[in-house]
Amino acid sequence: MINRIIRQIQRYKGWFGGAAAICIFLGLYIGLLASPPDYYQGELVRIMYVHVPLAHTSTLAYSVLFFGSIWYLWKRDPLVDNMCQASASICALFTSLALITGSIWAKPTWNTWWTWDPRLVSFTVLLLILGGYIMLRRLVDDRVQGGRYAAILAIVGGIDLPIIKFSVEWWRTLHQPMSFSTRGVSISEDILVPLTLMSIGCWLLFAYMVMVRTQILYLTDLLHAKKGRFLSQTHFSQTTP
Amino acid sequence: MTGLYTRWALILGTTLLLAILTYQHYQQHLSTLSMRTLLSNPPVTQPVKIQGMVKSGTLQGDVEHGQATFEFVDGAASLAVEYQGPPLENIRELKTLVLIGRWDSQAQIFRAQDTALINNFGFVAAAYLISVMALGWMVFAMSQRVMVLFKEIKESKLYEPEADSLGHKE
Repeated sequence: MINRIIRQIQRYKGWFGGAAAICIFLGLYIGLLASPPDYYQGELVRIMYVHVPLAHTSTLAYSVLFFGSIWYLWKRDPLVDNMCQASASICALFTSLALITGSIWAKPTWNTWWTWDPRLVSFTVLLLILGGYIMLRRLVDDRVQGGRYAAILAIVGGIDLPIIKFSVEWWRTLHQPMSFSTRGVSISEDILVPLTLMSIGCWLLFAYMVMVRTQILYLTDLLHAKKGRFLSQTHFSQTTP
Repeated sequence: MTGLYTRWALILGTTLLLAILTYQHYQQHLSTLSMRTLLSNPPVTQPVKIQGMVKSGTLQGDVEHGQATFEFVDGAASLAVEYQGPPLENIRELKTLVLIGRWDSQAQIFRAQDTALINNFGFVAAAYLISVMALGWMVFAMSQRVMVLFKEIKESKLYEPEADSLGHKE
């Protein structure tokens, strides 16, 4: 079933890319030009329109990796394995960018590039888990075995997701509390519009990137397989009298 | 490949247009003038923004009712300020802020009518540039890789059906 869904989505990936571009350009326009500066932070609030969507997307990407890994261990579907591998590398990019933009925002507001804050540390742990996942995939020669080990690592690493989400409530932190919760939305409309547009844009962009990356992995496998057959045939014709 | 480059030229063009619009917007509405430039080459009529710090021991007047006078410093340069405008909620001595007002060259005084927070455009620009460039480059590289892989598969004749001894293809 998942296989069929992925193939269906793959067919419409161009639409995802186009919709992502429109949302991001609109979000950038409103965020940079049309929205007012914040009362306290002034122009610095505009960093939020890239930082928060990047952070949200990286947790979404890891969720895809987490559930995809469970599915892969259950069904051993190579397409889902490719999708997990694609999600991991793209999630690493989004997580790195979220940390970098957060650090840039922290300097003028907290007067430091880095602090050992629970939210920052748990997010960095996510990046380390992803680094481990990518390294594991590259280091283990047996593709199936590597996929299995990596899936186990991704599932174990999933424990970091609730820690990231609730770190601002469980511990004393410099980071601002959750803006979207069961208590409601604590953001003004001027900020909410560009933030929502950029968030949707980043989610769509992530979906598009995963599809393209999955396609790359599939095509690379196909090329390797075909080349392997071609080489073995050449070898066979040379060695056969 | 031409379609890919056309698409990306369009995306790059839109991004560039957005960057130019943003730059113009900040130049027109938000850019601040250095105190040295204001003193050496003062604009005649239009209001300007200047950034500096309230000098210690100079703040006088009724701040809560939006009337104050103080010395405003930026490095070695300094000027006298007469503020008349909305109540100053977060002003204090040694506070760095942006003043909006006009330079009175005859009285040698800056007549401020409002305040603003420090712009910090460098941080905002850095965050946007790093994110947009990294994501854009990644998507471009991936799209190009797909094209190259398709081309490689097509050109390497790997899909050629195999012929048997009689010349019939599979």
